[in-house]
Amino acid sequence: MEPIRKDEFDSQACGSLTPKTKPCPRPKPGEAAGGCSFDGAQITLLPIMDAAHLVHGPIACAGNSWESRGTLTSGPSLSQYGFATDLNNTDIIFGGEKKLKESIDYIAGRFAPPAIFVYATCVTALIGEDMDAVCKEASGRLGLPVIPVNAPGFVGSKNLGNRLAGDALLQYVIGTGEPEKEVPLGVNLIGEYNIAGEMWDIEKLMNSAGITLMSRITGDARYKEITWAHRAKVNMVVCSRALLGLAKEMEKRYHIPFFEGSFYGAKETTYSLRQMAFLMNDREMERRVDRLTEREEARLIQDLRPYRKLLKGKKAVLYTGGVKSWSIISALKELGVQVVGVGTNKSTDDDVRRIADRVGDDTEYIPEGGASRIIKTVRDRKADIMIAGGRNMYVAMKEQIPFIDINQERHKAYAGYEGLLRLAKELTYSLTNPIWRLASSPAPWDKEEPPYDR
Amino acid sequence: MKDHLNIPDHNKLFQTEPYVKQREGKKAFEAPCSEQETAEALAYSKTSEYKDKNFARKSLVVNPHKACQPLGALMASLGFEKTLPFIHGSQGCTAYFRSHLSRHFKEPAPAVSSSMTEDGAVFGGMSNLIDGLENSVALYKPEMVAVSTTCMAEVIGDDLQAFISNARQKGAITEELPVPYANTPSFAGSHITGYDSMLKSIISTLYKRSGIEATPGSGEGTGEKLNVILGFEPYTGNFAEMRKILAAFDTKYTFLGDHSGNFDSPATGEYSYYYGGTKLEDVPKAANALGTLSLQKYSVKKTLEYIEGTWKQQTVSMSAPIGITATDRLVDAISELTGLPIPAELIDERGRVVDALTDSHPYLHGKRTALVGDPDLLIGLIQFCLETGMEPVHIVCSNGDNGFKGEAEALLAASPYGAEATVHIGNDLWHMRSLLIDNPVDLSFGSSHLKYAAKDAGVPLIRVGFPVFDRHHLHRYPVIGYQGTLNLLTTVVNTILQNLDDDSSGFNHDLVR
Ligand code: SF4
Repeated sequence: MEPIRKDEFDSQACGSLTPKTKPCPRPKPGEAAGGCSFDGAQITLLPIMDAAHLVHGPIACAGNSWESRGTLTSGPSLSQYGFATDLNNTDIIFGGEKKLKESIDYIAGRFAPPAIFVYATCVTALIGEDMDAVCKEASGRLGLPVIPVNAPGFVGSKNLGNRLAGDALLQYVIGTGEPEKEVPLGVNLIGEYNIAGEMWDIEKLMNSAGITLMSRITGDARYKEITWAHRAKVNMVVCSRALLGLAKEMEKRYHIPFFEGSFYGAKETTYSLRQMAFLMNDREMERRVDRLTEREEARLIQDLRPYRKLLKGKKAVLYTGGVKSWSIISALKELGVQVVGVGTNKSTDDDVRRIADRVGDDTEYIPEGGASRIIKTVRDRKADIMIAGGRNMYVAMKEQIPFIDINQERHKAYAGYEGLLRLAKELTYSLTNPIWRLASSPAPWDKEEPPYDR
Repeated sequence: MKDHLNIPDHNKLFQTEPYVKQREGKKAFEAPCSEQETAEALAYSKTSEYKDKNFARKSLVVNPHKACQPLGALMASLGFEKTLPFIHGSQGCTAYFRSHLSRHFKEPAPAVSSSMTEDGAVFGGMSNLIDGLENSVALYKPEMVAVSTTCMAEVIGDDLQAFISNARQKGAITEELPVPYANTPSFAGSHITGYDSMLKSIISTLYKRSGIEATPGSGEGTGEKLNVILGFEPYTGNFAEMRKILAAFDTKYTFLGDHSGNFDSPATGEYSYYYGGTKLEDVPKAANALGTLSLQKYSVKKTLEYIEGTWKQQTVSMSAPIGITATDRLVDAISELTGLPIPAELIDERGRVVDALTDSHPYLHGKRTALVGDPDLLIGLIQFCLETGMEPVHIVCSNGDNGFKGEAEALLAASPYGAEATVHIGNDLWHMRSLLIDNPVDLSFGSSHLKYAAKDAGVPLIRVGFPVFDRHHLHRYPVIGYQGTLNLLTTVVNTILQNLDDDSSGFNHDLVR
């Protein structure tokens, strides 16, 4: 690949597609940091379930990462295979291009995928492998899209990786295919990865309103459907800004209007569905969506009643990536849970603005990572529960803080109306589990009173 | 609490009609080939012709079964008191390692990164390392920082020694703070190589700084001590088991590297970054110990060489003592190294476990097994299988060397139950899948990663080794020593019995087994 030039990155401010935002915050040396750009790019593309994903690099990047994401598939599972060139010492010295070519050939021959994504890693970028050329040559020879993803870890954060993956889709995938029949009212979902099957809930909702899901970018996607994403009438960017650039560029190139929305919480869900109908500019559709959302919201209010009683007035500290930083706040508010602390380390300025719109003035912003920093907020603000990802989960357990996992390892889908119910249920369960009483009360022999009559 | 809502779980929900329909709808643009073609391809992937093609594969790795060096280095660092693992390179790797270890142990895994970016790639990582050391020491107040590298720092050729001494000169860290470092590129070796390098570096650094002269068996208050190494040990329970055995002998000992505290700390209501670990001051004193006993061989090679060479100590090393014979060897070794008699307690325990093995042997005899794991674990498992009449058939070791292969083969050749076995080094789990399908077995042993191949082949999986992501608390139960053997036996025999029950069709649904 082209060597990465520093000035290019600075001037383009973190991803070539979103020139107006401030650069993704750089991690500070000496802290417990989040994922790298390679990781981010993989997260974005791995949910294309029928494609092969080949990691070009030493075993670190692949060996530590394969099979570990909770993005579900409704069919093909090739994407879950860990393919790697596993470069060794000699390859580093003499180059790994031959190995890469052979690996691509092997995958094409043995697994016959509709496309192969090839990921650069720190090492292959540093030793100057010409991945683009190898991919291009293989594409031509095999008659199969072989797509280079140039997001080696060291170029920056996970967020930047998301964006670079979006670049790859724009450059190599979107616009290269046509659907069999024309879909008059199709919507693309961008930035929804089908964690725990969330996308399926959303799809069900859209279908009941008569909206066709054109391309999933990329939760439970098939390669082919992304090739015709340019035929959609509306793009919805689900949460966060990771793939906003993709939507902007599609608006420019294909005149597809886009909006940013979320499916966490009833209000956001209703808003998102309405917005789709509105942008499609179809009166009948708008009416259908209105009927659906009214019905669902009314039912939800009924169903939530017992949970709201318990959750009202509870305080939560939320620490998650950009994807859910602000949207979960709305969902929690609807359940009566107050967010007293919120992580902003992976959020952009816009995210922070959205967070500010949704929380009260005395909510604490947690700009930097580190378990102790989060715990401190929980303690200072007397929060009842912590909502965060897997790496912080076990710290919460040590501190005996009720916890729910909101990131990619979880097995609970929280999107849509039904998702909000599930969230309510999980929160309640976590808060009321008898183990917390047991954990926080001293052992009988530490109590002043004798535990039983002698 | 009464459940007000009927919310179906993950599996059930997505089997309901609307979701099934959705899935059907999606098929339209899914695969360009017909169901028949798909079925044919799947069937082909299960033929021996395909197996041969699979084994002819050279460039590509499919479903790797090893992690990289710095992950092992991280584990080694957490074996010492108040030690902060510091990974020099780009940041992604560190996030992976922490997740990996957290998911296995269900515990936090503290570690920091120097977060190198493209500046580092151009100008070298010195300023990242120096700033990183300064920041992390201020933030996490460690008493030792253990620096390992990722491939990025290795490719650009960062000179850790020089950088660290520059950091001291600039006052970013004090002279007193020990900063052992290890070069751990992930394009060579695997997690066990990294473990070894870091352990050796920590031991030698602390020893050099102390000014102690090694005089084995004669140090003040340390002369009658034993050094014990457990190596890249995914079971916290194995530490406890070793403690129990050593306590039965009533011998004094020092664990060189004990990460069990960090990966099995109590929930007290307050999280601290550091739990337990070998005391730093005990490390140089270990140079005066009677000798060093290691429960792994392949993952601590360089460390053992160092101890023999520099501390002039007697070392005894063995692979995971699983099964009666291997545990006997362990107990003998302790007795020989310390000159203490074998405690009655252990003799009794041995008898009980032998009894348990005889109780279960009818269900084990002749069961064909497949094994995946790190070299030391595999040697232990092979011994266990052979001892109980199970027949190891496929053995895959991604990170094994020729030494391991030779030892495993010799072990297998010495028993009629090993006659069918083949040992594959450098292979991956996709190879294992071919083996399982081409030449079926009754049981497979391996990490969670094996679950996909095992399911494809319809073989039950006994989860053992690293990583185990999808079961809880297994790491708390030892698999070594007599007790560990009993634990493993219990899992194995009950898996077999459960399968008998699951497969039984009524007339053979027995109550007593
Ligand atoms: S930081 Fe680099 S070497 Fe590490 S996982 Fe990411 S791409 Fe791989």
